Amino acid sequence: MTAPILEMTDVSKRFRTPGGFGRRRHGLLAVDGVSLRVERGEALGLVGESGSGKSTLARMANGLVTPTAGIVRTDGQDVAALGRRGLRRLRRNVAMVFQDPLASLNPRQTVRQTLENVYRAHGETTSTAELVALLESVGLGPDYLGRYPHQASGGQLQRVAVARALALKPDLIIADEPTSALDVSVRAQILNLLADLQRDQGISFLHVSHDLAVIRLYSDRVAVMQRGRIVETGPSEEIFRAPQHPCTQALVEATPEAELPT
Amino acid sequence: MPDPVLQVEDLSISFTTGETTFDVVRDLSVTLDGGRTLAVVGESGSGKTITGRAIMRLLPRGAGARGRIVVAGRDMLAADERELRRARGADVAMVFQDSMSALSPYLDIGAHIAQAVRLHDPSVSRRAARARGVEMLERVGIPEPADAVRRFPHEFSGGMRQRAVIAMALVNRPALLIADEPTTALDVTVQAQILALLRELQQEYGMAMLLISHDFGVVASAADDVLVLYAGREAEYGSLRDVFEAPAHPYTAGLRAATPRLDARLDTGGERTRLRAIPGAPTSLRDAGPGCAFAPRCGLAGQVGERCVVEVPLRSRRTSGTTGGAHRAACHLDRLPSSGEIAR
Ligand SMILES: Nc1ncnc2c1ncn2[C@@H]1O[C@H](COP(=O)(O)OP(=O)(O)OP(=O)(O)O)[C@@H](O)[C@H]1O
Ligand SMILES: Nc1ncnc2c1ncn2[C@@H]1O[C@H](COP(=O)(O)OP(=O)(O)OP(=O)(O)O)[C@@H](O)[C@H]1O
Ligand SMILES: [Mg+2]
Ligand SMILES: [Mg+2]
Repeated sequence: MTAPILEMTDVSKRFRTPGGFGRRRHGLLAVDGVSLRVERGEALGLVGESGSGKSTLARMANGLVTPTAGIVRTDGQDVAALGRRGLRRLRRNVAMVFQDPLASLNPRQTVRQTLENVYRAHGETTSTAELVALLESVGLGPDYLGRYPHQASGGQLQRVAVARALALKPDLIIADEPTSALDVSVRAQILNLLADLQRDQGISFLHVSHDLAVIRLYSDRVAVMQRGRIVETGPSEEIFRAPQHPCTQALVEATPEAELPT
Repeated sequence: MPDPVLQVEDLSISFTTGETTFDVVRDLSVTLDGGRTLAVVGESGSGKTITGRAIMRLLPRGAGARGRIVVAGRDMLAADERELRRARGADVAMVFQDSMSALSPYLDIGAHIAQAVRLHDPSVSRRAARARGVEMLERVGIPEPADAVRRFPHEFSGGMRQRAVIAMALVNRPALLIADEPTTALDVTVQAQILALLRELQQEYGMAMLLISHDFGVVASAADDVLVLYAGREAEYGSLRDVFEAPAHPYTAGLRAATPRLDARLDTGGERTRLRAIPGAPTSLRDAGPGCAFAPRCGLAGQVGERCVVEVPLRSRRTSGTTGGAHRAACHLDRLPSSGEIAR
């Protein structure tokens, strides 16, 4: 039996916060005893209220944030026990698309440099043709290779961030709101690309999104977070057909439909 | 009739890099009255953000604007720095798409809002300005606002940061609010709260709002009128109902078809259901040929023939204007086939 690509067991994260009193004196418990697994080839959708701990959980999953308690395993290996080489391999096999594309890109590097650095960091080489194909897969023309982040629009940057995550064909992609800045037609293109990668190459996804309609279409299973905890998980279709937890029900209720009342 | 809060006439925006100058927005004209919301939708890179920045006169280096922009009676393209400082905040404020980059990592959230207050009115004391900060955070639904003002941007979640920048933009009660994807980082319940808040403040202050959004759910629940941009040009303009129910540009129809619906029935046998993307990649004004920029991706171009690739369509009036307002589209077809015919 192969280990799940990602397994988090009883993971918590507490942040120290300025001032605060009462329950806040000991800091803010952003993630509170979460257990979750992503099987190989699976797309797990993570939804929940703003501030419920989704990004923090995502960052712990690839070792960017150290849990206060609990164990994170990728591909069966305890992330906390990884040495330098192990961590490097983790970064190679687990790629991340950050919620804030502009903040996650180096403003002084062109798109070409940004992408080349990904290969270089892992001792791999690339060609212009490969980079052009990579950009094309996210709907960007070759002229973007020479652009700096400030020379591109929000959605164009977000696609650069997706391209960067895809570059090394990782085993797991943790995508934090990867299409939030995209108009619907480009968004559909990117989501279909990710779905192809999942189907054809068995890449797994932890997909954080506020867009329930997207999560419903592109996830096999869904986990719902509220105040640092997972309050409901299940197959995507089931969760949206018959949400059990009040939090999930509220989210489904509040989703605006792109239709006008008649 | 009072003058419109925003008047844009024949606005074109260009970038100069090295020796080349190219337009990213061309011949845009809109008017917007107080108390009304105009949604701007369109392809990624079509010029939505840069148009908002031009209205603020906050263009990046290398960019230039031609045409006329009048905000609350002030000619923004002719105004000097002093006038602009006065205009920004009180006449027009903008919520930027990328909330993190709009905030300084070295200032706590309270200082950001206080700064916005005092920039506009230096006579307000530091203390009073911070108190306004707490008040505003409470209004945008941040829990424990008195604590929250002391936290730094990186200590906020994406959605909390977004609410904080909305608080900053609204604190001086601007006549015009430009909101660039104001709710994309927010979960749907907070999104609904923020939209309700914006509506409430809009009614209270008679504020006009230019709402840049690619989310048709948000547009449907917030906009009065809709402007659809494609490759820097107006593709379609009309009332919310006209644009949604009788789209007159094939691009608008394609966007509607690519919109996921939570309540849609899915047949779950076998392959996973997918969204219908518009085939091909968006173009820019620079790369567009002499014809319609959308033609290479348009499923209907074949019905018109040559014209689509050799001649830029002019904006023309549509007969479908059911609500009495203007409805126009830049398409050589006089009428789009019904949605069933378009879905190829
Ligand atoms: N570095 C940090 N220091 C202190 N508190 C933090 C830090 N990062 C996150 N938090 C807090 O942890 C909680 C969870 O934040 P997180 O970013 O994980 O939420 P989220 O579910 O991703 O929200 P959103 O949907 O708004 O992006 C929030 O209350 C946030 O303020
Ligand atoms: N500094 C710059 N130099 C050259 N081109 C630029 C620069 N800044 C923006 N652009 C280009 O101008 C066009 C319009 O950009 P803008 O940011 O207005 O797009 P947008 O409609 O807001 O897109 P999105 O929905 O992706 O945010 C884009 O094609 C972008 O690549
Ligand atoms: Mg987040
Ligand atoms: Mg933009």
